[in-house]
Amino acid sequence: MTPLGKVYGLTSAQFAAEAVRLAVADAGLGLADVDGLLTSSGVSGGISIDLQRDLGFTDLRLLSHMQAYGSTAGAMVQFASMAVQSGMASVVACVFADSPLQPERSAGAAYGTRRAPAGWWGMLGASGVVGANPMYALAARRHMERYGTTSEQLGHIAVAQRAWAALNPVAQLREPITLADHQASRWIVEPFHLLDCCLVSNGGIAVIVTTADRAASLAQPPVHVLGWAQAHPGRYLRRDLDFGLVSGAASAGPAALAMAGFDLAEVDVVELYDCYTFTVLLTLEDYGFCPKGEGGPFVASGVLGPAGKLRLNTGGGQLSGYYMWGMTPLSEAVMQARGQAGARQAPAHDVVLVSGNGGVLDHHATLVLASQAAAQ
Amino acid sequence: VSGVGPLARDAATAEFCDAAAAGQFLLRRCPAGHASEPAVAQCTTCGQTDLHWDPAGGGATLVSWAVSWSRPSAGEPARQTILVIGELDEGPWWWTQLADDPPADPEALAAGIRLRIEFRRADAGHEAVPVFVLA
Repeated sequence: MTPLGKVYGLTSAQFAAEAVRLAVADAGLGLADVDGLLTSSGVSGGISIDLQRDLGFTDLRLLSHMQAYGSTAGAMVQFASMAVQSGMASVVACVFADSPLQPERSAGAAYGTRRAPAGWWGMLGASGVVGANPMYALAARRHMERYGTTSEQLGHIAVAQRAWAALNPVAQLREPITLADHQASRWIVEPFHLLDCCLVSNGGIAVIVTTADRAASLAQPPVHVLGWAQAHPGRYLRRDLDFGLVSGAASAGPAALAMAGFDLAEVDVVELYDCYTFTVLLTLEDYGFCPKGEGGPFVASGVLGPAGKLRLNTGGGQLSGYYMWGMTPLSEAVMQARGQAGARQAPAHDVVLVSGNGGVLDHHATLVLASQAAAQ
Repeated sequence: VSGVGPLARDAATAEFCDAAAAGQFLLRRCPAGHASEPAVAQCTTCGQTDLHWDPAGGGATLVSWAVSWSRPSAGEPARQTILVIGELDEGPWWWTQLADDPPADPEALAAGIRLRIEFRRADAGHEAVPVFVLA
């Protein structure tokens, strides 16, 4: 990964190229070993398959730009895994980078761009429903109405992740916060306080996917990709009785675990996409860590944070660590599975469950990563 | 933040905007009688593409709501806009603001309360935007 956060002076494509160079070197490979490249970009765009030329990659056997919003990072690893399984490619670099932050411009402005005020999109914007904040707030409110979930319960997620971030040297926000701080932070879109919402970050992160045989002789402990699944419910801006109550995680999570041959109880570390605190709560329910509707009491039960028994979003996540879309949970998952997470390292890290979430709970990707090649 | 923003029509929204100007909210209706959201090109229930415009009755119930706050700035208090999802009596959902004047009390909202569609314009030069008000 490149430096992350308020890092200026590079374009998204430059961040992406640097992230790939760093990942290749970290693996103990050379750029000439790479024969596959999957690229993805964030809100500021600027990345395409032209990255091949920026990196001097010749004679690739796999090249594509992918976009499934926040589920893209997981999806890239899934497609890369299938590519190396099939022999289509042997070393695939998967990269995400973004540079929405500009000096002297607010983080909110980076994601608050109004769409052109015409057509159906214009009508939504003219109505005041602009960007992700209102849509996720509407989802969270529906969960609150149905199940009695409270803002204080969501606050437990923010507080716990900040405590983890304090142990992560590259996290953007490392000062501890309390539930009172969460409650006192300004409203963004009620029921979301500022501290319910993710950061905005510049930077790039890449991962290298290769065969287990090849990985065994490389520089880092291998992380095995044992299970994966996607779910795309497809009901955005349509009548959706599941809206805010159940997401694609409910099908993708169990499917990925079944493919890997693990039960939820065997998962050691959980890295969930956390664009908002609520996304974490809903994904925990959908993955089955607690019964549907009981996510609020569950996260408030003391199970979270470095002192809790659930190793969840151990790097601080997108709320306090860094916001690299699906690469945030994926990068932390890889560090944990390798046993290289320093002060925040989970003592048991054989099985790591990773989520990616995109759109307004519209796109989901699950990965099951493991330190061993197969379920024991 | 308060009030609706400017809106232009395009080819896809022209008929909807014509009806909105006359105070009607149009849905898409298929030959089997299913109602779909106005933006669809095929019925959300059965997939038929032989759709016609059909005026909604204008009644709805509240599905969810959120309160969008402007960023506080020097000398100006934060303003709030209530954003809602309403379920039209015909079934489809719609996302817009709750535009009562004086503003509704967010604390008094609950899923299932009755709403009614109205229309607001940013100014006379712009298209009418559907909003909900408390029924």
